[in-house]
Amino acid sequence: MAATGEELYKQREQRFNDIVALKRPDRVPIVPHVIHYFATKWQGISNRQAGFDHQAHYDAIRDATVEFGWDFTPTNGMFAADGYAALGTTQLRWPGGDLPDDASFQFVEDEYLKADEYDEFLSDPNGFTLTKIFPRIAGNLQGFAQVPIPPLFWMANTYYLMNVGGALLAAPPIRSALESLLAMSDAVAGYFAADAANAQEMAALGYPRTWGAPVIPAFDVVSDMFRSLRGSTLDMYRHPEQLLATIDLVQEAQIGLAKMVMQITGNPRVFIPMHRGAGGFMSDEQFEKFYWPTFKGLVLAIIEAGGVPNPLFEGDYTPRLKYLAEFPPGKVAGHFDKIDRVKFKEVLGDKMCFWGNVPVSLLCTGTPRQVKDDVKELIDLFGDTGTLMLDSGLGVPDEARPENLHALREAAEEYGVF
Amino acid sequence: MSNELTDAIVGMREDDALAIVGRELDAGVAPTVVLDEAKEAMTVLGKRFECGDAFIPELIMGGEIMKGISELVKPHLRGPGEAAKRGVVVIGTVRGDIHDIGKDVVVLMLDVNGYEVHDLGVDVPTQAFVDAIGRFKPQVVGLSGLLTLAFDSMKATVDAIAAAGLRDRVKIMVGGAPADRQVQEYTGADGWGGDVAAALNLTAQWTGGEA
Repeated sequence: MAATGEELYKQREQRFNDIVALKRPDRVPIVPHVIHYFATKWQGISNRQAGFDHQAHYDAIRDATVEFGWDFTPTNGMFAADGYAALGTTQLRWPGGDLPDDASFQFVEDEYLKADEYDEFLSDPNGFTLTKIFPRIAGNLQGFAQVPIPPLFWMANTYYLMNVGGALLAAPPIRSALESLLAMSDAVAGYFAADAANAQEMAALGYPRTWGAPVIPAFDVVSDMFRSLRGSTLDMYRHPEQLLATIDLVQEAQIGLAKMVMQITGNPRVFIPMHRGAGGFMSDEQFEKFYWPTFKGLVLAIIEAGGVPNPLFEGDYTPRLKYLAEFPPGKVAGHFDKIDRVKFKEVLGDKMCFWGNVPVSLLCTGTPRQVKDDVKELIDLFGDTGTLMLDSGLGVPDEARPENLHALREAAEEYGVF
Repeated sequence: MSNELTDAIVGMREDDALAIVGRELDAGVAPTVVLDEAKEAMTVLGKRFECGDAFIPELIMGGEIMKGISELVKPHLRGPGEAAKRGVVVIGTVRGDIHDIGKDVVVLMLDVNGYEVHDLGVDVPTQAFVDAIGRFKPQVVGLSGLLTLAFDSMKATVDAIAAAGLRDRVKIMVGGAPADRQVQEYTGADGWGGDVAAALNLTAQWTGGEA
């Protein structure tokens, strides 16, 4: 008798957990990490529409999961376009905003926190975010910069709350900004509803979702979101103490966030997107000073809280393998982009499973034969332990050729059953 | 020629480097000599990067120190006094992609290595590359991209250059995090690079010089 959805779900999750724990599974699973526009594109839905029509997007992800024989359903890496519109975000460019319908959303990296504002930020991160960062990242939140906002603790009593707070909330720029935030919240509520319904539907069909939510390492929060690559790089030389103080401040928040998202999503797998720690992006000395301590701390905190840290090592982490060997064996589901797979096997083969690494370029521009050959090479390399999960280096690429995703599955079936 | 300045830049000692430049200019050292010393430092950093002894931060910080030095030297320069360029490069991030970090580092290093670089920016339409080739007569065209949609934009750009009858006049490199030989073959480019060292090597090779 065919397995029920519930049984399949348990089998798949157990297989994933076994592989992470370095136990030999019955076969090599396909676990696509994240998905953006692939499924909707494949169904002829524009990128613009995919951002607004959450139901259509999740239905397309469901259909792709079944069609291409994935063992897990990839987590949706896109957010609500109607939310972007409500905010008038200037930090993202997106199809339907000022990008054409077939473009993908892109983050606009900038110094949202200037180098000479570190002390101001560190002394009052919340106030700074409200009055400086919000207006810089969203056109519709300019109001928070237009009206002087007193420290909230002034209003820590009923008299001042009504006098100061009441007057503040009557100011039209503040009202307009608050209305934009509420409209954003409504948009996000629609997205979350579709998201939760999809997780339930997929679970009933037998597919666990790859991860619940992302938690960005502290250095990447500062570099990506606040200071930009250029800014954080110059800070390593010009303002190292302030950079480190900001990283420490963020670290505490990120560990709290990791625990919170595990609870909210009910998914023990926490995605850790990594950008600036890759080989080439800094020296070992800088990595040890600015990146590694808080990244390692985040990974260990997730393990301690009963979760499965799922760092996506974007770029080439071959030069950092010696650091990754410090993690406790069998606890980290590392996903790799461009790493030297042979070197990985030598250094980390008995400490961490191997996930990803099929070149994105191959899935987008190669032939099915090339894809099958690459998967065979991976299975030949890791077949002795079986601690391998298949995916591209970065989840499902938007431009993947469907025939290549079929080839990935065929290769897993042909070569990956032990 | 003193190597004090070169050492300060290579050692990432920004304040020292700027102080040395100030001293040298006050002592009457020719501004072009000062700039040559600074450029020498960037060449050293580029070579170290290639060997894996220096990384992106050194290139970015080195570029920043260079910028400061140029500001100090500028008032002392009379006339253009520009050295002959080693070659001409047109570069840009292809249509649909707005990422510029990698491209900007490549532009900086090509510039300090003596190339005339025309940076077309990001989200560059295919026709803008074709027009720039007609206008600037480059030997090398660099197509940058981070997203997978860039593969098709790169291919469309190479095709448009061919359709305009300009393909034989230029060598084309594709670059960016996802670039590899597969992408080079798909797009019909002549070379690919995943980092700034590869871009410098290809450019040197294609303009008949040494890296």
